Amino acid sequence: MSVEAVSALGLSIRVAIAATLLNALIGIPLAYVLARRTFRGRALVDLVVTLPLVLPPTVTGYYLIVLLGRRGWLGAPVYAFTGWSVAFTWYAAVIAATVMALPLLVRTARAAIESVDRELEKAAFTLGRSEWRTALEVTLPLARNGIIAGLVLAFARALGEFGATLMLAGNIPGKTTTVPLAIYTAVQTGEMGEAVVLVLALTTLSCLVLILAGRLGARAT
Amino acid sequence: MRSRFSVEIKKQLPGFALDVSWTAGDGVAVLFGPSGAGKTLTLQCLAGLIAPDAGRVVVDDRVLFDAAAGINLPPQQRRVGYVFQGYALFPHLTVAGNVGFGLRDRSRHDRERRVTEVLERLDLGGLAHRRPSELSGGQRQRVALGRALAIDPALLLLDEPLSALDSPLRRALRDELRAILSGWGTAAVVVTHDFTEAYRLADRIIVYENGHVIQAAARAELLWQPASEAVARVMGLRNVLHGTVVKSTPDRIQIAWRGHTLEAVNSPTRSYLPAPDSPIAFFIRPEYVRLVRKDRRALDATHHMNQMRGTVVGDSDFGTVWSLCLRLDTPGAPAQGDFDLEVEVPHLVYEILDIERDRHWEFSIHRGSIHVLPT
Repeated sequence: MSVEAVSALGLSIRVAIAATLLNALIGIPLAYVLARRTFRGRALVDLVVTLPLVLPPTVTGYYLIVLLGRRGWLGAPVYAFTGWSVAFTWYAAVIAATVMALPLLVRTARAAIESVDRELEKAAFTLGRSEWRTALEVTLPLARNGIIAGLVLAFARALGEFGATLMLAGNIPGKTTTVPLAIYTAVQTGEMGEAVVLVLALTTLSCLVLILAGRLGARAT
Repeated sequence: MRSRFSVEIKKQLPGFALDVSWTAGDGVAVLFGPSGAGKTLTLQCLAGLIAPDAGRVVVDDRVLFDAAAGINLPPQQRRVGYVFQGYALFPHLTVAGNVGFGLRDRSRHDRERRVTEVLERLDLGGLAHRRPSELSGGQRQRVALGRALAIDPALLLLDEPLSALDSPLRRALRDELRAILSGWGTAAVVVTHDFTEAYRLADRIIVYENGHVIQAAARAELLWQPASEAVARVMGLRNVLHGTVVKSTPDRIQIAWRGHTLEAVNSPTRSYLPAPDSPIAFFIRPEYVRLVRKDRRALDATHHMNQMRGTVVGDSDFGTVWSLCLRLDTPGAPAQGDFDLEVEVPHLVYEILDIERDRHWEFSIHRGSIHVLPT
């Protein structure tokens, strides 16, 4: 394996892990709130979270540039104060992967939370638990399989993210070139050997993740 | 009856309005009525899981809800134990984990002691480390009871506690549940749509229909003096009939029905004196109609009052008893479709009297067995 390939593989794994952690942090509470609360704008939140699932990744990437780019709504003030922009850094790859993976986690986890019998939560209320404690002690443990499945999907999606990453993070070798981008570059430049190695590496990694997820799921039941 | 709790709840839901008011004392109050009458909704309001639109709920002088005063204690602070219809045991926790779930505020030592005590009392000692999925229906019910009782509730609520069980078990557990409830002495409200269950478990029965209370009474009073035709129908009483008042006194009421004048006992306590010629509803329990044996001709008038003749037009075998549909000899349309009275006789009587072949009978009804239903 070339130095570039190893670096791309390392970066991809780092990005996927970081994006999965961010997903867990944002996605699980979001899934809970969407499943169990009614509030104004719930449909809008649901729509915005789900959109990256149906939009072409380049469109999602374009929105991310509009939001976070050097001249973006959020990016411009940050750049003005710090002289730093998230665009074209490995953080950008993490953000792109997070946004693309989020709907997969939220939808799976939400369905799992919704399938938890509400009477169990009511029972916990009458036994003195607040809603917060009930979520931690009853709802989320019982939705565990679905949440794990959602996290696995999110990890796999983050590992394979291409379009949005290319838009926001670019394709800077050794810095933002993840495995999918490296494969594209290798094919474009005719380095088929390099492409095959990376393709096989990504396939193996994905298989390992799925097998691990199956094991976790089996143990949970 | 010392009143331990009083309930007054108004709640408007899409397509359903609950408007009930009742009180209960020590012991078990049963909310009885058909499905969809608002019984479970009442329990949820008592537990604080649903907020009524108006009303007041007081348990042992503690105000749990008072719309006028803006009081609505959350379920966490009500100390109301709730046994859900499907038990709602936490499937990811052991029996001990379930029973101890409401004891988080206590020290580990206290909690373990209380859990052990509750499990022992409910005969669940050996099952502490089992999961709910590994228990039988009856054991699950006891765990659900134990979980609710462990917190020393001021009030225990049970929603159709026996409906998840099959019928032989149901009967055994009904009596077991009664023993547990009286043993723990916690004031309890039980919801059921089965009258036998209601009668076995209750000290006091509150009859629900369509979001309203149509009678609240001690169980014996309800059984022998349903307050109205609506109550009689909800109780599933048979032979609910309509006649015309001939004469009424505090002790007796004469009723014209199907060409006969029936004499019924009136209850002096409820001072019900309908005017002559006014319509009146009454019911006759099928097992209290006496067939007159043909080999004993001399009828004793003190024994055989309200005599009539009729033909058996239909019979069904219920195993230990036969149910006969009798049609009176008097002309006119039968009172209940194609028959006038449903009569129940023990299997043995059916055989001795050879009712299968001999269809025409004289029968009598004691005046104490004709129950008047005030309107």
